[in-house]
Amino acid sequence: MELAATLFSTAYQFGDAFAFLVISCAGLAVIFGMMGVINLAHGEFIMCGAYVTAATARAGLPLPLAILCGALVAGLVGMALERAVIRHLYHRPLDSIIATWGVSLIATQGVLIVLGSTMQGVGTPLGGVAVGDRSYSLYRLVLMGAAVALLAGLYWLFYRTRFGVVARATIERPQMARALGVDTRRVYGLTFGLGAALAGLAGGLYAPTMTMVPTMGATFMVESFVTVVVGGADIFVGAAPAAAILAAIRAGLTAWYGQLFGQIGLLVAVIVVIRILPGGLSAFIKRARR
Amino acid sequence: MKTNRKALLTSAALAAAAGLGAATALAQDGPIRIGVLEDQSGDFAAATMVKVHAIELAAKEINDAGGIAGRPVELVVYDTQSDNRRYQEFMRRVLQQDKVDVVFAGFSSASREAYRPIVNQFDGLAFYNNQYEGGVCDANMIVTGAVPEQQFSTLIPWMMETYGPKVYTLAADYNFGQISAEWVRQIVAENGGEMVGEEFIPLGVSQFSQTIQNIQATDADFVVTLLVGAAQASYYEQAASADVGLPMASSVNVGQGYEHKRFTPPSLKDMYVTTNYIEEIDTPASKAFVEKFRAMFPDEPYINQEAANSYIAMNLYKQMVERAGSTDHDAIRAELGKGDVCFDGPSGNVCLDPKSQHMSHTIFLAKVEADHSIAFPTVWENIAPYWLGDAGCDLTKNDPSAQYTPSSPPPAN
Amino acid sequence: MNDARTFAPEAAPRDRRSGLAVWLRRLEGPQTMGRGSLFWLAAGLALLAAAAYPQFSDDYTVGNAAYFLVWTFMAMGLGVVWGYGGALSFGQTAFFGLAGYAYGVLTINVGAAYGFTWLALILSVALGGAFALLIGYFMFFGRIRGVFIGIVTLSVTLVLETFMAQTAGPQWRIGEARLNGFNGMSGMPPLTLPWPGGDLVLYPGAQLYYALLAMVALCYLGLRMLLNAPFGNVLVAIRENPERAEMLGYDVRVYQMLAFGLGGALAGLSGALYTAWGQYITPSSMGLTSAALPIVWVAVGGRRDITATLLGTLLVLTAFQQLTIYGSQYALVAMGALLLFTVLLAPDGVVYTAMERLGRLGRPGRRAGR
Repeated sequence: MELAATLFSTAYQFGDAFAFLVISCAGLAVIFGMMGVINLAHGEFIMCGAYVTAATARAGLPLPLAILCGALVAGLVGMALERAVIRHLYHRPLDSIIATWGVSLIATQGVLIVLGSTMQGVGTPLGGVAVGDRSYSLYRLVLMGAAVALLAGLYWLFYRTRFGVVARATIERPQMARALGVDTRRVYGLTFGLGAALAGLAGGLYAPTMTMVPTMGATFMVESFVTVVVGGADIFVGAAPAAAILAAIRAGLTAWYGQLFGQIGLLVAVIVVIRILPGGLSAFIKRARR
Repeated sequence: MKTNRKALLTSAALAAAAGLGAATALAQDGPIRIGVLEDQSGDFAAATMVKVHAIELAAKEINDAGGIAGRPVELVVYDTQSDNRRYQEFMRRVLQQDKVDVVFAGFSSASREAYRPIVNQFDGLAFYNNQYEGGVCDANMIVTGAVPEQQFSTLIPWMMETYGPKVYTLAADYNFGQISAEWVRQIVAENGGEMVGEEFIPLGVSQFSQTIQNIQATDADFVVTLLVGAAQASYYEQAASADVGLPMASSVNVGQGYEHKRFTPPSLKDMYVTTNYIEEIDTPASKAFVEKFRAMFPDEPYINQEAANSYIAMNLYKQMVERAGSTDHDAIRAELGKGDVCFDGPSGNVCLDPKSQHMSHTIFLAKVEADHSIAFPTVWENIAPYWLGDAGCDLTKNDPSAQYTPSSPPPAN
Repeated sequence: MNDARTFAPEAAPRDRRSGLAVWLRRLEGPQTMGRGSLFWLAAGLALLAAAAYPQFSDDYTVGNAAYFLVWTFMAMGLGVVWGYGGALSFGQTAFFGLAGYAYGVLTINVGAAYGFTWLALILSVALGGAFALLIGYFMFFGRIRGVFIGIVTLSVTLVLETFMAQTAGPQWRIGEARLNGFNGMSGMPPLTLPWPGGDLVLYPGAQLYYALLAMVALCYLGLRMLLNAPFGNVLVAIRENPERAEMLGYDVRVYQMLAFGLGGALAGLSGALYTAWGQYITPSSMGLTSAALPIVWVAVGGRRDITATLLGTLLVLTAFQQLTIYGSQYALVAMGALLLFTVLLAPDGVVYTAMERLGRLGRPGRRAGR
């Protein structure tokens, strides 16, 4: 019984870190992996999703619907941003970093001015469950399930639907896709919107567990960048295993040495991985498969 | 916002009042200029906007009543954007260019340490109106915020008596958290208690699953939460949803960032905070303060301890200038040195301690109920900031301009 | 952007004049805008105006101008690494912070007598440069490129920030110097010149301003010479086409590493000077916001030309400070809008574009200064 409780505790910690990494990096990974754009406004899309979720939930919408609302609004904002700004910068990846950082500044401070410095959150639903002599948050278990479902959903979207095929074709050979009659601009726009919506979903999912402030997106940024970089360009063969490895590093270091080493260990892991595998895990795995 | 530039609060009423009566010797000196450097944007804005408003309220009251020794008060306000560099830039600006008589500045300890060398260089006078980790022994600084010995020597023994002797400390991993944790450790040992755990969290961490388990693995009777910043505040929500169910004790929550108003009940249930002021305090002085505050700033989300401290500081400054008959810093400090500079304000009677230039406080124990209303189980009156003076800091004799901590006290002489 | 002439190694006719003359000739060249007597007249006048201006201004304004000059070194360093070398570093603040702390530790332990502060300044810059060389070796010899350079450098600076933020305890001291965690280290002396009849302490004011102005001018001219030397030409060649540069026999990695080291040393110079200016250094000067600022200055000013970088940085610093004073909460929004505007409408940078227009006006029918 003691052993089972300890095992559950370890698995819970790992799953919790894994879910956080997967959910927070999915949007960034889609935009970076599919379009090569580093989106520094990722955190602000997360904030957007969280704010919309909190607002609609407090207005009386059931939480799951409110979360979807958050994702939807973030996606629409993302598509508008793509049309207005990102579209002009596809051939200038470094400039798109600066542009999205500008967007992030405007969004953070704009929200502070318009909506004030904080917003009342929604409480975490579902309460706790006791295993052994410890209790755990049930909602966190839901988040773990959501992470797995998210990966499965993305796999289905990119490998089992027409949009997925066209999107992957556009990313691999844009000229060829255009020659075959694909509206590549529309595909880029939709992909960016999808990435933004995923960020919004992350915000919505974590909104009930966090403090709602305009700068809340920043707390996701480091973790999501680390995961995407370690994973490399492909979200499935890269980001998911990267999240698993990093979650193990993070949960382990935090458990044994405390939060400081969990934080620093994550950053050091990035540097080491980039040095050994410049293309990230996905390039390595793809090479190994051949 | 009108406040943000050089907000000139010279009131018309004053001009009329001072026109004949008081306009003798002092009027030719012109207004008394007060620099205000507070974060009106960035991370800390939630807790600090209200400080600027409190200073504006005090300035308006002072001007309506004829100014300080007949001279009107003029505020020079800058937004420091929660950025230490802006404090360095603007502290030089108010002292060198705007030539203010006194400065009210700073929220985070880092910002205070950033501007302190500049205040010393130009021999300025700065009020720091924040609750902080204590230990600043600097003749150019007057501190009106509460310090650890005032908050913990009251809070910890009460909690141990009420809930038991086993304590778990959860603190932000920087100066404030580490030094406060040191105080907790010391007071717990003095009272025969036991530290069953101590954990430091880097700033910006927002995920606490592991921490929550660490706490549950011990048999702590209560948790001392010294968490700082919006990210770390996520702890309460996460702990509540994991059914941690332990009472919490803090010196920093509620009184500063009004978490009980911002979070959904009951995540802060059974949190105990020692604070020198919050707007729920049910005394006539406090109610009157809240009323006139809301009359001037109807949309103010919360009136916290820093707002009260800033308001008190303005009035203390007025009193010292009027007693000294000048804005000269040495003359002001000579008045302070007499040890009877007191003010009966929204939080009760407070006095400045000549040795450390810190302020005594009435310390209220605030308890957050399940619906996030506030109860006050007990009140300690007249708690002095004793540590610096006892440890050997005596600003009436010499000025080391340093910050000390219990583990690196002033050098014995 | 760059035409073929840019790659011309060194001016063809070999002359046998002394080394100094060769270097002086490199003040003008393909990699820097501005040539001919008109340009140098303007530059001379600008310097003269900058030198005369403290006579017509008050102490605060001069001290504030000195503060702006402090930052230009980091910007010029980033200009070399990013604009000329094509490697976007997001972590110049790592070297900035390291050198700043080094200056603090050295001067707190040794003091300011006999001009030691200047030796400390040099040592701190060397430390910043050496650390940058190490990171550069690690990255460029590991074949890391593109956006990943930005991410590695950002990680480095964030690790340093996280680490320094928790060094509040008394056990974190180097000699006399307490690192003092997130609250930052203070108590170091400002730059001090040994002077007959009492040391000259360079507090922010006219004296510090003149010292910094001289350093900026020297640094600017030195960089012009270096960038027009073979080193600079090869660097630009690598930015434009690394494979071709490699085929021509240049070891791309070595050049990039050296450029990165130079950028780190310049960032270190800013860091040490900043610490001396405010007698204070804090971990947050290595954080995300601080790390992004130099990129903004360089991007808005113009990264492809060292003159544009220098002028642009001063312009942006002034504009942002004025925005903060008069624009209240809208300052950050305006900064973001300025960035967007620059990237979309003047992708080469505002000052660069303006300079190019101006140059074209001067010489109709020819592209100016290239």
